[in-house]
Amino acid sequence: MGLMRTHLYEYHKKYAFLTEFANFEMPLWYEGIVPEHLAVRESAGIFDVTHMGRYIVSKEDSRVFLDNISTRDVESIKVGQGKYSIICNESGGIIDDIMIFRLEENVFLIVCNAVNRVKDYNWMKAHSHGFSLKIKDLSNNIAMFAVQGPKAIEILQQIVDLDLSSLRYGYGTWTRIKDIDVFISRTGYTGEDGFELFLWNTPLEEYGKAYNLWSTILNTGKEYGIKPCGLGARDALRIEAGFCLYGNDINETVTPLEARLDFAVNLQKDRFIGKEALLRQVAEGIKRLRVGIRLLERGIPRSGCKILFDKEIIGEVTSGTFSPLLKCGIGMGYVLTEYAKPKTPVNVQIRDKCFEAEIVDMPFYDTARYGRKRQK
Amino acid sequence: MPKTYRDAEGDAMSHEQVAEKSIKINGYEIRRDRFYSREHEWALIEENGNVRVGITDYAQKSLHDIVYVEMPSVGSKVNQMNPIGTVESIKSVSEIYSPVSGEVINVNNRLSDSPELLNTSPYDDGWIVVIKPSALDDEIKNLMKPEEYADYIRKLIREKK
Repeated sequence: MGLMRTHLYEYHKKYAFLTEFANFEMPLWYEGIVPEHLAVRESAGIFDVTHMGRYIVSKEDSRVFLDNISTRDVESIKVGQGKYSIICNESGGIIDDIMIFRLEENVFLIVCNAVNRVKDYNWMKAHSHGFSLKIKDLSNNIAMFAVQGPKAIEILQQIVDLDLSSLRYGYGTWTRIKDIDVFISRTGYTGEDGFELFLWNTPLEEYGKAYNLWSTILNTGKEYGIKPCGLGARDALRIEAGFCLYGNDINETVTPLEARLDFAVNLQKDRFIGKEALLRQVAEGIKRLRVGIRLLERGIPRSGCKILFDKEIIGEVTSGTFSPLLKCGIGMGYVLTEYAKPKTPVNVQIRDKCFEAEIVDMPFYDTARYGRKRQK
Repeated sequence: MPKTYRDAEGDAMSHEQVAEKSIKINGYEIRRDRFYSREHEWALIEENGNVRVGITDYAQKSLHDIVYVEMPSVGSKVNQMNPIGTVESIKSVSEIYSPVSGEVINVNNRLSDSPELLNTSPYDDGWIVVIKPSALDDEIKNLMKPEEYADYIRKLIREKK
């Protein structure tokens, strides 16, 4: 059985260095991780993210069902709005982190990690008994792009009829571009302003329309400096922004409270799977927390590197990279709660050497200069 | 004073040979004036008998944007084909293997601030260490001449397809 390919495989094959990710053949980089990363922070980048999972959960019990399996308050999600949420197991461990978009009162678009396509679908099916609902897997019928960066809005405005500046961050709406119905949302995984485009009714085998839109965005964005970006830049960008990657920073052995995703957990909700376990954890005290780590000497922290304080192991790095923006090693990991305060001096053990580092807040970049809240 | 280009055996190269100071295989440059290891390091034997070491064009192209280099300290004793440092891109870590045994007598400190020199100038400004060799006459047979390294690269390219 071969690897899966998205609508843009021919483009990736021609211009990118390919890699295997979540059973897909994906671009790791085109021009290079560093120039692509910097393009997103300075102008714009476009990502093919069709490898992710996309499900429609609909009918009258869809809202109650989603409120039962996710930590977020789904009832309060307005039509057109999307919210980041967690699916927990009964122990409070993280099954996946997802986006929940409310397309209509009783129609929700769930976007999940590529690596959890099958797991999430099975989990939803297993917990759907007794609910009047429909769960449809549309992952292979909807191409998905992300256009991210301060110039993303200017570029997309050239080809989109609706006024993008009126779209609030976290909200989406329907439009038609190049003969395709597109749900366009002002969301993303880079920390910058940007959009995610869901190309409706674009099956994998009929890749022409999706390919056409991809090329159009690249051509339109050329004068603004847009670059096609691979998974390498995607990873470095999301680490700089402080976002988790399932499998690295979050998994079934970690709770959303330890991962400091409290904003996505509503403990006041009547019930959801994992609520009791999380309440217990609050009562007992949370023993470890996800933190940002910045190396003070030259070096690159990587997943698995131990974190030390006074020669004692106090935690471990779960994601690490070299920040092309800050030109230093950065990462995130978990440390014992008592060491989780910013400015705590620590050491990171990389192979057989120890490097000076400190605990820092995330995002790593100065939000006045970078990110979607940057000062104009 | 014009530099005398020498081939791998130390013989001065003619004008024609200098003009062709590199072999090019599929866009990968291989300098004619030095020796090569299977791990894609080059070893340039200098006039004073010391060995300057770096990574090849094939290596830097495979790694892509190099962002960090870990080098041994001056004075370290090294052994042929043992790791002496690492070269890192954002996505990968690669060991640097010493092509000869001996003592490290110089280290390219420019690489700390400018690791990208390994990408832009792998054979010149991107040199990594200079080693005073302890057994060069013996060990040279374990290294490849430029033409041999070129064949090696051709084989690797064929295998990738």
